[in-house]
Amino acid sequence: MTHAEEKNSLLGQGVFIFVYLAVLTGLEFFVALTFNSVPLLVAVALVKAALVLYYYMHIYKLNAVEHEGGHDSYEYKAGTNRIGLWLFLVSDSFVFGGLMVMRLNLLGLTRPDLNQNLGFFVTAVLLISSFFMNRGEVQLHNGNRKGFLQNTMVTFVLGLAFLLGVVLIEWHTVSAIAEPILALFGEHAGKEPLKPSSGPAGAAFFMMTGMHAFHVLTGLVLLIIVWVNGRRGLYDEKQYPVEAAAVYWHFVDVVWIFFYPALYLIGTAIG
Amino acid sequence: MNNNPLRKAFLFLFVAGAVGYGLGLGTDFLVTSILNFSGSVASAFALLFGFTAFFFGLYGYRGITRGLVWQVAGTLIGAFLITGIRAALGATPIFGAFFFSEPAWVFGALAGVLSFTFGVGIMDDWVKWARGFDTPEYHEDEPGWEKYFSVSLDHKVIGIQYTVTALFLITVGGTFALIFRAELAASQLQFLTTTFRLFNQTGPQLYNSLMSLHGMLMIISILLGVSGIINYAVPFLVGAHDMAFPRMNAFAYWVAVPASVLLLMSLVLGGFDTGWTGYPPLSSRAPVGMQMFFLGVFTAGWSSILGALNVIATVLRMRAKGMTAMRLPIFVWAGIATSIIALTATQLIGLSFQLVMFQRLFGMGFFDATKGGNPVLFQHLFWFYSHPAVYVFVLPGLGIISELLPVFVRKPLFGYRWIAMSSLGIALVGFVVWAHHMFTSGMNEYLRVPFMYSTMLVAVPTGVKFFSWVATLWGGKIETPTPMLFALGAIFVFLLGGITGPPNAMVAVDLHLHDTYWVVGHFHDTIFGGFVFPFFAAIYFWFPKATGRRMNEFWGKVHFWLMTPSFLMLTFGMMFIGLRGMRRRIADYDPALGFDNAHLILTICGFAIALSVLIFFINFFYSIKNGEKAEGNVWNSRSPEWLVPSPMHPHNYPVPFEVVGEPYDYGLPGSKYVEFANGKTPKHETKRVGTHS
Repeated sequence: MTHAEEKNSLLGQGVFIFVYLAVLTGLEFFVALTFNSVPLLVAVALVKAALVLYYYMHIYKLNAVEHEGGHDSYEYKAGTNRIGLWLFLVSDSFVFGGLMVMRLNLLGLTRPDLNQNLGFFVTAVLLISSFFMNRGEVQLHNGNRKGFLQNTMVTFVLGLAFLLGVVLIEWHTVSAIAEPILALFGEHAGKEPLKPSSGPAGAAFFMMTGMHAFHVLTGLVLLIIVWVNGRRGLYDEKQYPVEAAAVYWHFVDVVWIFFYPALYLIGTAIG
Repeated sequence: MNNNPLRKAFLFLFVAGAVGYGLGLGTDFLVTSILNFSGSVASAFALLFGFTAFFFGLYGYRGITRGLVWQVAGTLIGAFLITGIRAALGATPIFGAFFFSEPAWVFGALAGVLSFTFGVGIMDDWVKWARGFDTPEYHEDEPGWEKYFSVSLDHKVIGIQYTVTALFLITVGGTFALIFRAELAASQLQFLTTTFRLFNQTGPQLYNSLMSLHGMLMIISILLGVSGIINYAVPFLVGAHDMAFPRMNAFAYWVAVPASVLLLMSLVLGGFDTGWTGYPPLSSRAPVGMQMFFLGVFTAGWSSILGALNVIATVLRMRAKGMTAMRLPIFVWAGIATSIIALTATQLIGLSFQLVMFQRLFGMGFFDATKGGNPVLFQHLFWFYSHPAVYVFVLPGLGIISELLPVFVRKPLFGYRWIAMSSLGIALVGFVVWAHHMFTSGMNEYLRVPFMYSTMLVAVPTGVKFFSWVATLWGGKIETPTPMLFALGAIFVFLLGGITGPPNAMVAVDLHLHDTYWVVGHFHDTIFGGFVFPFFAAIYFWFPKATGRRMNEFWGKVHFWLMTPSFLMLTFGMMFIGLRGMRRRIADYDPALGFDNAHLILTICGFAIALSVLIFFINFFYSIKNGEKAEGNVWNSRSPEWLVPSPMHPHNYPVPFEVVGEPYDYGLPGSKYVEFANGKTPKHETKRVGTHS
């Protein structure tokens, strides 16, 4: 395979994986609206997470052996940093696991009464942002700084849209903004919005989306840092920081892959 | 240490404490129009000001002092900010019983922790990296004692910082124990009476706060002590020049300092009466001190998590040539097992406390049954960490025992592979035993029996360790300098802790033992055997490595022979009256129970332990400057750190070494563990040497 072919194949792989993820997300939505099979939703979520872990987060890189330069080389140190990052993600997933246990314990096979159309929309936005993040990383790897910067910026904007979609509209923080947009997504006027203090559904919903939104926010900070430094050409050679930001961003997406069905799809809605 | 800065520091402590108390009284008076001399606000100010001024006098405005000043400023700014926002939004009340309202205190405390990390300077390099600047990989440390009070990236300095902080917290937590132990010496309330008032608490309330804080301060101090020994020893045991992430290592230590301040603040801000477990619904009603407690534990949890992450990465990536998995020192295996638990499970105690925090702040009904919540859920989340946590406490200690025995028995460690794997075994089984704390909680009954069996399974890998220790001792030429005494004491005490465990695991028995003094006795046996004794052993053992001098042998032995019998008497007594119906956590008991004499003896034993620890402290600080010189291989060990002069070079080994043999082949002629690259491997004697006085 020539160099140009390899470059294109990496970009093509990103597109393919995105198409798979998009189809699976659509399938989830369809399953939820029709026969609502919980095992099927779990299975789809697991497949989606596996795709992201392997193709976007490159979990196999943990197994890579650095041959050159010994313990002081950049490659070796990047490998150590990669292990550190993944250990952190393991630790962090226990928080989200704990939240999931909390949700299952308090709500069982019921779910908060939320606007499923809006949920599908913000999920799509986050998923697309992951696609662009992967594309940005590949472009940097291919030596295309401009492409990297553009894609990272798109990722940032989509991430911000997701964050605002959840915190401003789903949370009903400012009714004047939230209500017209919710109406666009087919919400009945005058429906009582969910509040943190309104029973277990509200508590679980605000806690889970809140913790996730906090991680999105920190991801956005990392993205803006790599974007600003990337503009100055800091990562043209030493690319690990971009990889780290990307892996973290995809991790936030993986969490949402599980939280989305848990909050919007499975079971029957309660107030 | 020069006496002048210390004297100045104490002077500053008193003056600033008094000024802070006055300011607190003034602000309290402004808001409530009552001069409240038992007032918490005044005490909180006095604590923050005095603590900060102490380090200012000792050290000047840098390092830890700067961190504490920033923490105080951050707390006040954050709290006033929230107070202002609440006033603007029309929330009532604007001020609470402790001057600031609860949300203001919580946000202020969090802001204080963050500003501490910036103030102390641990974020400097990271901020530079984020702005695109490079920094040198290592920074030069100041010579002398000053380096221990500001950010250092050297794992040995950080290890000592951890250890000394742990000793400080042990002292505070121990003092609390002495206070409530004195109250328990006789039935009825003697000095913590209902008319007694301090920090807005009556005597029995203060008893509860002290009892609860004793638990958590000791736990944090154990976590820091564990991190201290691991941080100090693991890198040089595996032949690394430092930890994998030196800045994160320093961060993990420094974030524990504001965490400790928050824990102490919880005492003066109304305290809390839940015990260290903080179960709702009680914890959702306790004073604002509860929130400081939650935040303090949450912050200390991050220290534990990041430290564990670093240990795993270090062992995976920084080992010397030839240091394969089955040639790692046992203590490193123990560190790995510990770190696996600390890395993952710690998140769950943080989460469970966070949920109660949010329940209090935003009315989210996670554990509030009236809002459809489930209080038992808290216990599940809490114990998912807090049971494995005891393995975090004891596994490094058990590793230290296995590490020291061969050195002082002069024969190989029995069953190396089994010992190495038993640590991992305990850690992994430890993840599925948590609900044995909840047999009486009203959880689903079908959960009881599986958890009973999984709990008893822990005895298997632990038994492997005991078998190996006994077989290692068997037929050896046992020498008993102080570290070995403590290692042997640890084995004995931990055995007692171990055999008093299975009765608690049996559902039928535990329903009667639950919440009695029996459990307290059992727990202290496991923790003293698994942590306190090995911790002292490790300090006596590696003290010469750190300072180039050794601690006084005679006073070390006095420490041991005073502490061990008093401690055994203490826990035997606890279990004895526990079986006869003494409840744990209560300030008073019925004289008709006839426990007065027993409690008096327990109190005397408690003070005897305190005296022995005081002897240790004097020995420790005296020996730093005046101990007998010991720059060589004091214990005649095979381990690589003893083959280079003490104290160690900042990056451990100027000449790298290669592992060529088994770590514990003591007494086997011609056996070699490591070989230095320049070919000058110092020989250690295979015979007994007369260095031990």
